[in-house]
Amino acid sequence: MNELRQLARKLLADKTVGVVIGYEEGQGAVTRPSFATSPEQAEKLVFDARCVQNLASYLSPRRSTVRSLGKPAVVVKACDAKALAGLIREAQVKREDVVVISVACGGVLADPRSGKALSEAMVADRCRDCDGAHTSLADHKVGQAKAPAFGSPKVDARLAELQAMTAPQRFAFFKSVFSECTRCNVCREVCPMCFCARCMADKSEPQWIESSPHLRGNFAWHMLRAMHLAGRCVGCNECERACPAGIPLSLITRKMQKVVSERFGYSPSDDPNVPAPTGAFRLDDAQEFIR
Amino acid sequence: MSRIGVFVCHCGENIARTVDTAAVAQECGKLPGVIHSVDYKYMCSDPGQLMVKQAIAEHKLTGVVVAACSPHMHEKTFRRATAGAGLNPFLCEMANVREHCSWIHESRTAATEKAIDATRMIVEKVKRNAPLSPIHIPVTRRALVIGGGIAGIQAALDIADGGREVVLVEKEPSIGGHMSQLSETFPTLDCSQCILTPRMVEAFQHPRIKLYTYSEVESVDGYIGNFKVTIRKKARSVDEANCNGCGACQAVCPNKKIPSEFDAGLGKRSAIYVPFPQAVPNIPVIDRERCSYFRAKAKGSTKVVCGKCAEACGKGAVHFDQQDTLVTEDVGAIVVATGYRLYDIGKDQDSELLKGYGEYGYGTVPDVIDGMQFERLASASGPTAGKILRPSDGKEPTSVVFLQCIGSRDPSKGIEYCSKICCMYVAKHTMLYKHKVHHGQATVFYMDIRAAGKGYDEFTRRAIEEDGARYVRGRVSRLYRDGEVIKILGFDTLSGEPIEMDADMVVLATAMRPQAGMAELAQKLSVSYDKHGFINEAHPKLRPVETNTAGVFVAGACQSPRDIPDSVAMASATASKILGLLSNEQLEREPTVARVDESTCSACFHCERVCAYGAVEHKDIRDRSGNLVRVVASVNKGVCQGCGTCLATCPSKSLELDGFTDAQIHAAIMAF
Repeated sequence: MNELRQLARKLLADKTVGVVIGYEEGQGAVTRPSFATSPEQAEKLVFDARCVQNLASYLSPRRSTVRSLGKPAVVVKACDAKALAGLIREAQVKREDVVVISVACGGVLADPRSGKALSEAMVADRCRDCDGAHTSLADHKVGQAKAPAFGSPKVDARLAELQAMTAPQRFAFFKSVFSECTRCNVCREVCPMCFCARCMADKSEPQWIESSPHLRGNFAWHMLRAMHLAGRCVGCNECERACPAGIPLSLITRKMQKVVSERFGYSPSDDPNVPAPTGAFRLDDAQEFIR
Repeated sequence: MSRIGVFVCHCGENIARTVDTAAVAQECGKLPGVIHSVDYKYMCSDPGQLMVKQAIAEHKLTGVVVAACSPHMHEKTFRRATAGAGLNPFLCEMANVREHCSWIHESRTAATEKAIDATRMIVEKVKRNAPLSPIHIPVTRRALVIGGGIAGIQAALDIADGGREVVLVEKEPSIGGHMSQLSETFPTLDCSQCILTPRMVEAFQHPRIKLYTYSEVESVDGYIGNFKVTIRKKARSVDEANCNGCGACQAVCPNKKIPSEFDAGLGKRSAIYVPFPQAVPNIPVIDRERCSYFRAKAKGSTKVVCGKCAEACGKGAVHFDQQDTLVTEDVGAIVVATGYRLYDIGKDQDSELLKGYGEYGYGTVPDVIDGMQFERLASASGPTAGKILRPSDGKEPTSVVFLQCIGSRDPSKGIEYCSKICCMYVAKHTMLYKHKVHHGQATVFYMDIRAAGKGYDEFTRRAIEEDGARYVRGRVSRLYRDGEVIKILGFDTLSGEPIEMDADMVVLATAMRPQAGMAELAQKLSVSYDKHGFINEAHPKLRPVETNTAGVFVAGACQSPRDIPDSVAMASATASKILGLLSNEQLEREPTVARVDESTCSACFHCERVCAYGAVEHKDIRDRSGNLVRVVASVNKGVCQGCGTCLATCPSKSLELDGFTDAQIHAAIMAF
């Protein structure tokens, strides 16, 4: 923790950056995003298993307030680094415009509000297959990287169950979960890869997606969100964590990740130079579906 | 308020047989915004078109829907008619009630209903059509020809004779291509070099042809009428301006045992060399891989090794320190004429598709050669001065066996296509052999004899009937060396008898393949190619020398196996296309291209990355005092082909295709 504060202090003192985006103590047991703009403020930075948020989201050009604070340094976990790489890949952030502080993370809590310690039962699902290594994007590495060892992600078992269902059964399942959606759009707001100035879901002429929380519009929204994130979603699972209706969105994002991996040989990467399939023109793409 | 006219065509009986066209016209007449709806026997006929024109004037139409055949057939016709009546042509659309409806359905009721649906959808679309005007783009009135074989030379000469400048790029040190290696040509048996070299010299001396030999196309930017081509002039190590081609350098070069590419490995050349005596230009090049000077340097030696050629040169033209240089040429059109190479049957294959022919012992059994090597043996300029002798011992072969279809027409070996020229050149080889070795016997193993062409069948008949070539229908399963001779095991499928025979020499008629590196070149040019690497034409029948990229044309064996007459005909066809293209100061393009909504573009540039044509550019948005506010994507209308890939990938839906906007498509879908 001291190492992190010291580094932040130095970066702010010598004006390398205008803001350090990290975590600080929040209300109750949780931590919250922190924006330290002076060496003194660096003292409040913390990092532990409660720091679940993906701070790369704050680098999106949508966050104009953060942008106005000057050049940012951002604290990233291995999972967040993939989102940062995504933003660089899709020209939203220039690599040289951000200082990357990679923190060693041994996994984070699924629910930091619980106040429980990190354990096999309490760990966030995405941490289960994380190698915990420092990202190659790191300008500064804080702490010794270690791989969390918590078994395989539970979402895969749930996906296998869904896969075993008949199509009408699966449809009924998604109908029941999507009927809970209130279209609050928090999944979109929290997503680091949803950076469009105007979301196509808000386009009204023509309106492709009904905006009222009606099952038909809800289906359209979640399916389109899945398609828009195909090959772009980094699996940080912020959407599912933030969803007030408890919709298991990782079932969709994880499935899409698997499909993209099988079809295009692409998995979320922290290397911004690896082209993502939606933004690449390849002559050797599989095209056996064209008859 | 829209005032749409609907015109339903019977297409004689083609549509009316299955679709109740009168009912379609009547139903569509009731649609909101449709104020005129009629049916007629042939809408595309003069009276039919006149109906459209008159209706536009009489009813002050704001849109025209023709329910007839595919827009591929007659969209142009009806848009012209619409324009003729003073309405913007892009306010006219076609509903396809023939290919999509009457031709594929049997039930008259259902087909009529579908025709009404299809027409209604287009009516709703046309209500949202906007007038579009053609895009005008300037034209650089000169052309690039890639490849200096007979196809490239012919194309360059025809374009230059037509009055336009040509840049001709050849990767070898001399132009001439494979044709310069041939001895005689079918079906006339005239000497290949005698008919080719005048063309080579003419191309070299033509005031409007700029020749780059030993050069390759590095990159191509731009679009039809406005290509920017970067050409890599490889270091020749000889100053082209000073060299007078005296040959003194070659005479003193100590490395004289290098297999000559021109002689298909049968002859030898020096490290500094002119590929063949009639080379154009007659300027040597140093093979840096084989030259002692460069090899010593590559090994890190600081001593000057050899350098005899530089000493011998009276002009001081040998420059060891010459570097590759890049030159840029602006052209308006491009011809790809990169030609072919032969299937390297025995050696390692460059493609997983190709399996090779281990059973024929090429490269391991002496005196098993390929067709090009036989050409060199038969050629007066070849390693044996035109005497047909066995490469192994220099003896005159009294029995030569020719095997056809080696590599070609054999999907299991990787090439399913017919190499086309082999039947003819094998017949030619048997004749050349008979003419030079009178007591010799030629035997040909063939699958079919394909001799379609003017004078071609007569030619093969002559080989068999006058020159006594023995044709055996069947394939050879194995051949091996047995003492002095090559044992051949095969099967005559006409008599059903196995064949075992001896030969002094075996010639394999190996398949034509496109040149190496075609995929890379095609990608530079954004043209499509097949799995073998042949360039795809835009339409196999109606646009045989165009590619799917406007302004890029294709001639000769890089498109598919071609003989000399075919290649020359294609070359002249490209020249005619290009002269037509370059006859205009400006080009007119269809305005159905993509457009960026700059206010919502989030500048992720997925569109740029997926665009196969390189049509997406970055555009700076500045405020009134000129400060950069942000950067957005922008479509170059001259390059865009209107494919719509960018629209599909745009996350914020900030791209629209004019003529096919979201509002139009949405309205059409909702009308169903």
